[in-house]
Amino acid sequence: MIEVDVAIIGGGPAGLASAMKACEEGVKDILIIERGMELGGILLQCIHDGFGTFIFEETLTGPEYAQRYIDEVKKTGINVKLNTMVLEIDSAKRIIAVNQEDGLLEIEAKAIILSMGCRERTRAQILIPGDRPSGIYTAGVAQRYINIEGVIPGKKVVILGSGDIGMIMARRFTLEGAEVEGVYEVMSNPGGLTRNVVQCVEDYEIPLHLSHTITNIRGRRRVEGVTVAKVDSEMRPIKDTERFVPCDTVILSVGLIPENELSKSADVGMDPITNGPIVDEQMQTSVPGIFACGNVVHVHDLVDDVSKVAEVAGKGAAGYIDGKLKKRRSPIKVRAGRNVKYVVPQIIHGEKFDEDIRFYLRVKEIEKSVKTVVLADGERIFEKKIKIVKPPEMVKLDISPDILNRITGDELIIDVEGEEDEEKP
Amino acid sequence: MGGRDQKIVKKLEKKIVKKGFPDVKISADEGIVRLNGRVNLWSEVITIGYLAAKTKGVKGVINDVTAGEIERKGEEKKVTKRGVYENVSLPKRADVVIVGGGVIGCFIARELSRYKLDVVLLEKESDVACEATKANSGVVHSGIGESSGTLKQKLNVKGNKMCDKVCEELNVPFERDGLLIVITTETLPPKVRKVLPSFISNFICEKIIPYVIFRKGKKAGIPLRPVKREELLEMEPNITDKAIVGVYSPTYGVVYPYEITIALAENAIQNGVKIALNTEVEDILVEDGKVKGVLTDRGTIEAEYVINAAGIFADEVAEMAGAREFSIHPRKGSIIIFDKDMKGYINHSLSELILPQDPHTKGGGIFTTVDGNPNWGPDAIEVSDKYDKSVTAEEIDTIFECGSLLPDFQKSSLITYFAGLRAATYEEDFFIKASENVLGFVNVAGIQSPGLASSPAIAEMVRGILREIGLKMREKEEFNPIRRAIPKFSNLSIEEKKKLIKENPLYGNVICRCEHVTEGEVVDAIHRPLPATTVDAVKRRVRTGMGRCQGGFCGPKVARILARELNIPLEEVTKDGPGSNLFVGKTKSLLAEEA
Ligand SMILES: Cc1cc2nc3c(=O)[nH]c(=O)nc-3n(C[C@H](O)[C@H](O)[C@H](O)COP(=O)(O)OP(=O)(O)OC[C@H]3O[C@@H](n4cnc5c(N)ncnc54)[C@H](O)[C@@H]3O)c2cc1C
Ligand SMILES: Cc1cc2nc3c(=O)[nH]c(=O)nc-3n(C[C@H](O)[C@H](O)[C@H](O)COP(=O)(O)OP(=O)(O)OC[C@H]3O[C@@H](n4cnc5c(N)ncnc54)[C@H](O)[C@@H]3O)c2cc1C
Repeated sequence: MIEVDVAIIGGGPAGLASAMKACEEGVKDILIIERGMELGGILLQCIHDGFGTFIFEETLTGPEYAQRYIDEVKKTGINVKLNTMVLEIDSAKRIIAVNQEDGLLEIEAKAIILSMGCRERTRAQILIPGDRPSGIYTAGVAQRYINIEGVIPGKKVVILGSGDIGMIMARRFTLEGAEVEGVYEVMSNPGGLTRNVVQCVEDYEIPLHLSHTITNIRGRRRVEGVTVAKVDSEMRPIKDTERFVPCDTVILSVGLIPENELSKSADVGMDPITNGPIVDEQMQTSVPGIFACGNVVHVHDLVDDVSKVAEVAGKGAAGYIDGKLKKRRSPIKVRAGRNVKYVVPQIIHGEKFDEDIRFYLRVKEIEKSVKTVVLADGERIFEKKIKIVKPPEMVKLDISPDILNRITGDELIIDVEGEEDEEKP
Repeated sequence: MGGRDQKIVKKLEKKIVKKGFPDVKISADEGIVRLNGRVNLWSEVITIGYLAAKTKGVKGVINDVTAGEIERKGEEKKVTKRGVYENVSLPKRADVVIVGGGVIGCFIARELSRYKLDVVLLEKESDVACEATKANSGVVHSGIGESSGTLKQKLNVKGNKMCDKVCEELNVPFERDGLLIVITTETLPPKVRKVLPSFISNFICEKIIPYVIFRKGKKAGIPLRPVKREELLEMEPNITDKAIVGVYSPTYGVVYPYEITIALAENAIQNGVKIALNTEVEDILVEDGKVKGVLTDRGTIEAEYVINAAGIFADEVAEMAGAREFSIHPRKGSIIIFDKDMKGYINHSLSELILPQDPHTKGGGIFTTVDGNPNWGPDAIEVSDKYDKSVTAEEIDTIFECGSLLPDFQKSSLITYFAGLRAATYEEDFFIKASENVLGFVNVAGIQSPGLASSPAIAEMVRGILREIGLKMREKEEFNPIRRAIPKFSNLSIEEKKKLIKENPLYGNVICRCEHVTEGEVVDAIHRPLPATTVDAVKRRVRTGMGRCQGGFCGPKVARILARELNIPLEEVTKDGPGSNLFVGKTKSLLAEEA
């Protein structure tokens, strides 16, 4: 049995930043456990630029961004176990992990930070009918094959889903000399950031078909083509718009799912909307001493946000070990109100606040000229105008301690109000 | 045509004309009817086939009627070099050649490996268990679903009893989880429910139906037990309120059909059988009414005995020998698999009884795999194309209806779906016979469900037939029925895991996040007596890619290990054999092509 103060599961940007912060806060014995052969997480395969615009105020590639943290970690006494897969965690904070050198490891930690990232939704989960030949990949897997393994999955590509990874892969395939026949998106708006629509799709003259989907995949050994169709307002395919598109590859960018099998094994309470653990403002889960941050909590679009929130978890874990985390008698529940899909953190436990709390929310629908409103104790305690909100772009609200310290009730609601809802004076 | 045959033709002609197909040509030979002509729809071809099969005196139906709508995809001839896929050199001669490496062919191979015989099994795909055998529910039925008096029922009941021993010898998991046949408020057809007073329909559901099932079981020697509503709810707390009573069939079980088939193949090889993969039989050589050998796309093998276990292609292989007495019309069945985190949601296999029952299928149900993944289905759809294994949107909807027994089941835990083709004949029974015209040729055809459950008994029956037609069989003292399994890391205790990693550090490298499969298991699979040379072959042996992420994480790792162990470039790794390559080339290669 190995004993540590803080064990961090996953050495991506979330794990790295939380480790650094816990170290700064004075935690001595920190262990990062990473199943990959290097630290950096998913960033290692993201060789495009666009990372770090907030934190470093320059645009870096994924590996460059990760390296900045890796270099820092190396300067500290933080221990790292690479090529090590965590198999199980229990609510007593015992970890079972395995690698080739040590064999089976049993680790006991005073606090654990979950930072396992997320995985991609697959073809079956969105019920695309048809054959099951070779040549169907999720976008992240295709990205790994091209950028890490050095092989190209196909020559003529159809992409389903205009999430960021889908669009980035449209550009990547094009740069490799493959033909991207089109990007098909079932929603009436692109699923990813506007900057990716412009830089990855429009600049390369790749057709983006909104309100379209794949209704069938055909191919015996290898993909031979797909049937695509327009969808109606309820997203049902319209039969007579069906068209067969010959291709040898289908790339799916149809959503990410936080990877929480380990969280579940530790009995951590889950949020059915985010598919991640329910966390409080310290990023602590329902199991005392188990914290979570990054894509394992909910899917972030910018790595800068991941690094920032990971620091909160790192600090929280340090505070937990020192017994410094004080809890109020009845916690404040944070609720998603009008046009809000979810809010993280979902709960507030602190007694008194001396720092801002940052709330992350995703809206359900695009809306222009809105106001985000925070309601507590029957009052509007905070308001902020925003020009436009879109589902792919996370909304962040920083609420100051003086506002927070005034709350007496046990509920906080966050609304996004449209123009017409606004009370006219 | 003899007098009896003429009678059959006359009778059948009348029926078929009456149905509106005057152009179908009919002939008969010794009770075997041959149909030719062209109609509009595939469903009409099927109707005509059944009309013939149900005509008195008909022993077999060869239905060559074609339909306008048929779009036969066929198979492009493989030109790819075989390389790693050529696992053994083809022998010049053998005592027995088995065509087809499904569960049936492999079981027969293993059965014959008990004797001093040169046995060769030929399989056109790059692994065994690539057709119906990989795409079924994996259920070892009890036999209660089969019509009384059929060969299917007889062999199913017998085969079921043989499964414990063979699974133990082969070291493959077999769970007798039992089946609950559930009688619900929807069991009786709506029309009947409408006209009957509710106390009568209740009486029928609670008493008569369970009794009828019970009697049928008793007659066939299938243990059954009626289950009252309270007990039913205790056995299955998540079941719908519509449930009235149940009938419990304790001998029902589940296996992994591909795993048992691979194990049979490995054990057969251990005992001297040669299994040649990627070897397609193109002709059966016959001289003076006797089998002389087979012609394959890799050369000829001389043999006096040939066993046709070619699944949906069995009619075509029989035709090659001139010993075709049946037609196979593929009947597709699709199945949906859910995440094993739903394990424990049901405790037994469940099947809702809906009357009237489809005469040609037992209907879908709710099953659980050995590892606890719930699986729903299959449905049953006649298809004209022997390569059509697509799952349609309509099918997915139909299968979801199977789940109406479990109203609160979390359907979002779905991880994948697939389809298989049942090798149905018009007679709807197994066709296991030595040909009377071609000496030495044995058809083991029409092996649709419960073919898996019956397979041990089928192999025994085929051994008997071979002996009857003159094959000399002398037992081998050195026959070893035991097959060592690949150690399954995720099932081991902590101490066992530690020990295994110490012996072989590759077992410390977990490469599949969902099923916790290690590199050690993958490497083992690649170097077994029957080598796994494709991503899917590895998957069938060690479960990489079978979990919730469907290979997203382990895919690149498995591909790399395959390339390394087989000593081939990554671009040559395939999903399931020649033509299914994962990649088109190295990065920059397309740009180089353009330039
Ligand atoms: C294709 C793609 C493009 C992107 N583009 C941009 C961009 O342009 N700009 C931007 O700002 N952001 C971008 N992002 C988002 C950003 O990269 C992610 O939000 C960020 O990497 C998430 O960090 P994480 O640490 O939570 O997860 P990850 O980076 O996924 O790290 C999780 C780590 O945990 C490890 N792990 C998981 N389970 C276990 C276990 N059981 N045992 C041991 N280790 C485990 C994994 O191996 C992994 O290293 C992109 C993301 C992707 C996928
Ligand atoms: C959806 C579905 C669900 C089912 N569920 C169950 C169940 O729960 N329980 C049960 O008992 N049964 C079930 N069955 C039936 C069961 O799958 C079959 O009975 C069994 O797999 C048949 O095995 P086989 O060896 O005869 O055929 P196959 O597995 O089809 O094997 C035939 C083999 O012959 C090879 N072959 C064909 N032609 C040639 C050639 N010319 N040269 C070389 N090789 C050739 C093929 O490639 C193939 O591998 C189900 C079937 C389906 C489709």
